[in-house]
Amino acid sequence: MSASGQSLEANPVVPDPFAPYSVRLPVFEGPLDLLLHLIRLDEVEITDIPIARIGEQYLEYLGLMRDLDLDVVGEYLVMAATLAWIKSRMLLPVEQTNEDGEEVDPRAELIARLLEYQRFKEVAAALGERDRLDRDVFAGRAPIAGSPAELEREVEVGLFDLVEAYRRVLEARRDIRPLPHEIETEEITIRERMLEVMGILETRNSADFEALMQEGHERRHSKSLLVATFLAILELARLSVIRVYQSLDSLGVPEGPIHLRRTAEGGDGSWVDRIADLM
Amino acid sequence: MKETERRSIAEALILASPEPIPVARLAKLLPRCTPAKARALVDELNADYVAQQRSFEIQEVAGGYQVRTHPEFASYLQQLQRTRPLRLSNAALETLAIVAYRQPVTRAEVEHVRGVDAGPVMRNLLERKLVKIAGHRDVPGRPMLYATTKRFLELLGLASLEALPTLRDLEELTPADAPPASQGSGQNDSGEAPAQLSLQDVDIAGKPN
Repeated sequence: MSASGQSLEANPVVPDPFAPYSVRLPVFEGPLDLLLHLIRLDEVEITDIPIARIGEQYLEYLGLMRDLDLDVVGEYLVMAATLAWIKSRMLLPVEQTNEDGEEVDPRAELIARLLEYQRFKEVAAALGERDRLDRDVFAGRAPIAGSPAELEREVEVGLFDLVEAYRRVLEARRDIRPLPHEIETEEITIRERMLEVMGILETRNSADFEALMQEGHERRHSKSLLVATFLAILELARLSVIRVYQSLDSLGVPEGPIHLRRTAEGGDGSWVDRIADLM
Repeated sequence: MKETERRSIAEALILASPEPIPVARLAKLLPRCTPAKARALVDELNADYVAQQRSFEIQEVAGGYQVRTHPEFASYLQQLQRTRPLRLSNAALETLAIVAYRQPVTRAEVEHVRGVDAGPVMRNLLERKLVKIAGHRDVPGRPMLYATTKRFLELLGLASLEALPTLRDLEELTPADAPPASQGSGQNDSGEAPAQLSLQDVDIAGKPN
C-alpha cells in the first residue's frame, strides 16, 4: 500500500531515506506520546482518529526503532495490540452497543486516554517554563547562625552514594592505565591507606572524599591506589572511627562534595590498635 | 513605632528567614501587626522595589514570603553556584504534573496516564525530594500513595497547590495562544504541525458521552 511509504517520506522523522545512518528519531515518552505525534503529523482530530492509518504508521515506527536497535519496550507492543484490536472491532459489521443500547465507539477509551495525556503534557510544559529556583531565580535565605537549619546542614552518606562518588573519581581519572612494560612491584595495602587516611584526618577536621582518594601517596597515577583508598575508607567507616558526610543544600537535600570526619572513637588514638588488630 | 520602621523589620525578617516565612508568623514577630497588615507591608515593599528598579522582589512561595531575584540575572547568579541547577526531563515534568493534580496518587495511576513504567522517574523524584510517599491506599496490595512536597512548590515558585494552573485555565488559554487555524492553506507550509486541541475537543474529553 502506497500510503505507508508516503507517510514515512512525509514524516520529518526520516529526513533522507537514502542516508540511513543519519536517521534521527525524536525521543518519545511512550506509546501515547508517539500516537499524539503521528496524529499531529497527519493533522487529524484526536476525537476522530483514523485507526487504520495511524495504526499502520505506528507499526512502521516500531519497525524503524527495531532497525536502529532501539529497545522496543513492552508498552509499545501493548499499544500496537490495542490498535489492532480496535481496528478489528471497527471492521465488524455489527454495531457495538452498551447496556442502554447506545452505540459505542471502540476507540472511545483510547481517545479519552490520549486527550488526558495530552492535557498533562501541556501542564508539564507549563510547569517546565516556570522560573525555577537556583536556575532562573535565586532566593535570599540567609541562614541564621546556630539556627536548627544551620546545625543540621549535613547528613551521613550511605554506601550507594559513596560508591557513586567512587565511580565519579574513576570516571575523572579514566586516563589511568598501567603502562604495558610497568611491573607493579610496590603493593599498596588497604591497611597502609587506612593509616594514611587517619593521618590526614589527624591534621585537619575533615577531608574531601574525592581529593582524599588521590592524596598522600607518591604514586598518584595508580588505579590500585584508588581501589585501596576506597576500601580503606569503607573499612574505617565499618570500624566507626570515621563517618562520611555530605552537605545539605538550603532545602535539605544532600548535595555537593562528600567529606570524612573522625568520630570520637577515631580521635582518642585507640584506632591505631584497632587497625593493628586487622593485620 | 513609625510605619517605615515596621516595614524595614518585615523586610529583614523575610530576607533572613532560612525558609519562606508564612504571613501569620511574620505578623506575630512584628510589633502590633495582623496578617492583613503584614500583607500590606509586603505589597508596599514590593512597590518600593519596582520603583527603585531593584534586582529582586518578595514572592509568595510554598505558603510563605521569600525574597527572590529576577530571572534576568540568572546567568550571573549561576556562577555563584557550587552545584549544577536541577534538570528535569520531560518524563519527570509529566510525572510531577500528574502527581501534583491527582495527589495522593498511586504509581499505577501515573503509569496509566503516561502509558509507560513510572518506577525510575518516581524514584528519581523521591530522591530529589520533589515527591514524597503519602501513605498507602486501602486496597489489596496496599499500593503506596505519592504526593508533591514543599520543595516542589519552592522549586517552581508556587504559592500553594491551588496556584497550579487549573486544567480549566489551560482550556481557556489554548484557543487564545494557538495561532489562527490555517485551514486549507497552501501545500508549502513550513512543515510544522499546527494541530492543536480545540476548546470543544477538551470539553468532550471532560465529559465523555
